[in-house]
Amino acid sequence: VRHDAIAWERAAEVRTAARGWLRAGAIDESTHQAIEKMYADPCITPSVVWRVLTAGIVSAVILCALGAIFVPTRPRSTGLALLLVLFGGACLVATERLNAAPPLARRGAAGATSFWGLLLILVGVGVLLQESLKLRVADALDAVLLSAALAWGAGCWRWGNPIFAGLSAVSLFLFLGRLPHGRFLWILASAALTVLAARRLDARGWAPSHRRAATVLVVAGILAGYVALNVYSLDEHLLEELRRLDPGRLAQPPGRALFFVSAVATAVLPVVILGWAWMSRRAFLLDAGIVLLALSLVTLRHYVQVAPLWAALAGSGAALIALALVVERVLRRSPGGELAGFTSDPLFSDDRRQRFLEIVPVAATLAPAPPPGAPEKSFVGRGGGFGGGGASERF
Amino acid sequence: VNPDVVAAVARLRAEHVLSARQAAFFDRVAGRRLVSIRLEMRALLYAGILLLTSAVGLLVAGHHQEIGPLAIASAIALAVTACLLWVIRHSPPFAWAEVASSSLAFDYVLLLGLLLFASELGYVEAHFGLLGPGWAHHLLIVGGVSLLAAYRWDSRIVLGLAITTLAAWLGVSSNLVSLIAHGGGRLRANALALGVLYVAAAALSVWLDRKPHFEEVYATAGLFLILGALVSGVLGDGRSWGIWLGALLAAAGAVMWVAFRLGRSLYFAQGVVAAYVGLLRLVFAPFRHEASSLPLVLAALLGIGALAVIFSTHRRMIER
Repeated sequence: VRHDAIAWERAAEVRTAARGWLRAGAIDESTHQAIEKMYADPCITPSVVWRVLTAGIVSAVILCALGAIFVPTRPRSTGLALLLVLFGGACLVATERLNAAPPLARRGAAGATSFWGLLLILVGVGVLLQESLKLRVADALDAVLLSAALAWGAGCWRWGNPIFAGLSAVSLFLFLGRLPHGRFLWILASAALTVLAARRLDARGWAPSHRRAATVLVVAGILAGYVALNVYSLDEHLLEELRRLDPGRLAQPPGRALFFVSAVATAVLPVVILGWAWMSRRAFLLDAGIVLLALSLVTLRHYVQVAPLWAALAGSGAALIALALVVERVLRRSPGGELAGFTSDPLFSDDRRQRFLEIVPVAATLAPAPPPGAPEKSFVGRGGGFGGGGASERF
Repeated sequence: VNPDVVAAVARLRAEHVLSARQAAFFDRVAGRRLVSIRLEMRALLYAGILLLTSAVGLLVAGHHQEIGPLAIASAIALAVTACLLWVIRHSPPFAWAEVASSSLAFDYVLLLGLLLFASELGYVEAHFGLLGPGWAHHLLIVGGVSLLAAYRWDSRIVLGLAITTLAAWLGVSSNLVSLIAHGGGRLRANALALGVLYVAAAALSVWLDRKPHFEEVYATAGLFLILGALVSGVLGDGRSWGIWLGALLAAAGAVMWVAFRLGRSLYFAQGVVAAYVGLLRLVFAPFRHEASSLPLVLAALLGIGALAVIFSTHRRMIER
């Protein structure tokens, strides 16, 4: 990240916090204005809607422009690779220009140009390796994955985009999974990534965007470690399927001791993450721990079928609702509405906006679907079906 | 810890911009000595409801002959009653203004009760045929009851469920891809009519000051339906797509203008995307039988024009 951009980012962090204080009524307008004056930020930071809209339109412009060059020239192999790399390079130059201009740096355009720039260069490298240099598909794939891990990582470092950190981690783990002893490498790399990134979560010297990238890397490390240790993944050779040599030949059934160790790790890792979340009071670790716990319970249900599926789902659903109710009750009755540093109050987050956004998953997953073809027959309404998670009330 | 905010709080306190009490509280939050888990608790409630409704669906579909229809109907009715009793017991008094929930779980328990009510009605209708030939209207009943519940208990989540259920009753899916891919004339007409109704409800909510905070739910859904139906006409109607395009551009222009006046970025974005997608058909249609780079150049220029409109509007819009 550019040095001047780091200063702008730090000011933006303070201004965002101050907006939250103002929204919650913790400061008045004059105090807010005084803070904005002290922490001046030359960048324009539109809301998420504007940024997504801008990034979407910029993506359309980039792809249409690329298509406009491709259609009349129809380059093959080396020509195509050259076109992709040159076009990707042009996108990266545009990213640099956009990031240097405060009025344009945070509008979403730079994010789109950097994403497409790196992606097009990587595809170009892949085409060059396979079509021009006639490398085997497996070798070309390895080279592209390794290049992707480095390119996304460098992109994250340069432009501070946390999504690139995630893409870099995914590329790295896919590459490691294709090497001999891939599962072991996943465990080592995930542990190293988690430990190293966790040390930088609160680093004062790092730009805020780099700290967010460190958060993404911690989550990526935890998830990769869980996948490598999970007993179902071991039993079904999920990682071994990534191997570059014949996966079927190399995948051996796990021994009893290994299976037992993996089963214990599947049970213990979510608890460890939840314990870490409790000790460090990091909400994202709590989220990761809850997700891993749910996955471990699903794994347990796969191997130990003590109850029919509907009973397991009903029991889990009721338990989750009861847990949320109990936690809220306990927190509300605690002095000051907090317990061990946790509270159910929204503090300075935009609770109203979050509640509006909740409507989307509810409407998408729980609303009834219309019957196919009904409106073509008649204007009057037809029956639909209710039920979440693929279930339906049609009998 | 957010070290930038921690440092800023110390500086703001030293320069007497913040009081000692304010600084102490802000420092606790920025230093992660006080953390909100509100979002996590909501996620637990949502996941719980998803699992429970799935379980009810699986149970009824797989075991209804073993258990018997009366027992199943009674059990679901009991669960509905329990949920609604809990809601009634914890509900604040009715008001036309926004009412704060007494509990974080309030909206979700109400939602669970209504989803179970929908399952109950569907099951009873399938087995006992109470509505006779008008059986399909059970979605209208569910949508109507959800709408009433949304107003009585001031729930935007339940309002979202109500308006998607009413759309389903008219055969309209909340899935835009489905609307564009399978949108025949009648489906489009239904989507347009419902969209206009929802936008009118949004306007009335604000104008009459009756649950004005429901405006964004109604308007977002209404614009989604109207613009989705018009885009479906432009992309899907072989002969009269030009008429649909004219209607789409007029509607998108009106939406963008009103959104600008109201300071609503989401409505503006819906208008821009719909107009851009519609104009792509105009750009590509003359070249559909030949491989030419001209439509792609025009599409790129169109995108640059859209960006100019976006930047210019953002600079002048006072966002609410």
